[in-house]
Amino acid sequence: MNLKDKITAKISSFPTLPVMVSKLLHVINEPDAGAADVAKIIQYDPALTANVLKAANSAFLGFRSPVNSISEASFRLGTKWIYQIAVSSLIFSNMKKPVAGYDLGEEKLWKHSLSVALMSEALCTLLRIRDVGIIYTAALLHDMGKIVLGEHLVDHLGEIQSIVDEQEIPFEKAEDKIMGIDHAELGALIAERWRFPDTIIDCIRWHHNPDDAPQISNALDIVHIADSMSLMEGFGYGRDELQYRMSEQAVARVNATSAILELALSKTILTMEDIENIVKDMPTENSGREVKT
Amino acid sequence: MAVHVVGISDFRTSSNPDDIIITYSLGSCIGMTVYDPATRVGGMIHYMLPLSKISPDKALVKPAMFADTGVPELLKKVLELGASKSRLVVKVAGGSQLMDQHKVFNIGERNFLILRKILWKNNILIKAADVGGVISRTVRFELGTGKVTIKSSKGEVEL
Repeated sequence: MNLKDKITAKISSFPTLPVMVSKLLHVINEPDAGAADVAKIIQYDPALTANVLKAANSAFLGFRSPVNSISEASFRLGTKWIYQIAVSSLIFSNMKKPVAGYDLGEEKLWKHSLSVALMSEALCTLLRIRDVGIIYTAALLHDMGKIVLGEHLVDHLGEIQSIVDEQEIPFEKAEDKIMGIDHAELGALIAERWRFPDTIIDCIRWHHNPDDAPQISNALDIVHIADSMSLMEGFGYGRDELQYRMSEQAVARVNATSAILELALSKTILTMEDIENIVKDMPTENSGREVKT
Repeated sequence: MAVHVVGISDFRTSSNPDDIIITYSLGSCIGMTVYDPATRVGGMIHYMLPLSKISPDKALVKPAMFADTGVPELLKKVLELGASKSRLVVKVAGGSQLMDQHKVFNIGERNFLILRKILWKNNILIKAADVGGVISRTVRFELGTGKVTIKSSKGEVEL
């Protein structure tokens, strides 16, 4: 068995995403879905309901009267907001562990993923791009391939780094040369297994190389730009550091000016800490939600 | 002794020679230390963007987010604590970029450029700088000695 086959074989034992995420994703993907549909799903899960209410009542939102129910929360804060808090907290348990190989410490992968999601959201708002829910989810999951690739990477870091240095190629290209597969492709294979929407699978697969994707989309360009900016700003650095490229074409395609990118950054840093703390404080006993395939 | 950790868009000052100020994960952001060896007063800022004009309201909440609002604020604070402008030793780290990032949104390069402008206007020289590259840096600053060390994947160096 070659190295690539050995690595991809691990995908089958990768934990499935909490069922709630798929359910929520399905609902917000429906064109005529409303707040009531999202609320209905969340209400079935007491822990998640508690999390969302805690978030809605957190100090940084500054409501004078408490938010008592999910429907009240979606009325005051919007369905999109509820969805984002719910998905972020559901995915936290899958992402919080340290990732060997990439030298990502406790919660570092999570922090990076969350920052890319929040940055994507900020960019969508500033650039008036729709489908924020899908883009937010794709951004949260874009690097999950690192969880699988990381443990194999440990023995090959020296080789990977030396071809990055010698050939001046980005880290993911070097991963592909040495390991036979890179973390983006691995993440896409996991998302395929989860039967995720094609947009999300494409965002994950091409997040470092949007110009090479067979189908270019706003979602993909946004996730790519947000990831590049998060890497620049140092939200959850790993061993791979800043050894990636940012596509000029992607920036041009979504008409992002320097001022817009800077605004998105400043917006993200202000919300990051609040959301991070809300999500981290949440009860994480997800045993009832996770199933193995 | 206290260890002060400077987060992104933040600054810390101290006049206690037993203190240490640290900032982690500097990418395109800039970490700058200022130190008066005579009074042993110093501070460190970790700012992320060059100019506050993109969002003046955010500069009011978090002046250290931007070079043009944060750096003067840090200088003001250390002078208040007893540092003298003429004795200030300034060291700079960060300003990294992604690979081949020449044209698109090279925030690291702009962050350093604007800092040099601000300091030049204030007649302050940069004593040492470790900027650029595709690495992430951690900066450690000892108030007792003024010693600044940079840790990255390339190893640990004194600045």
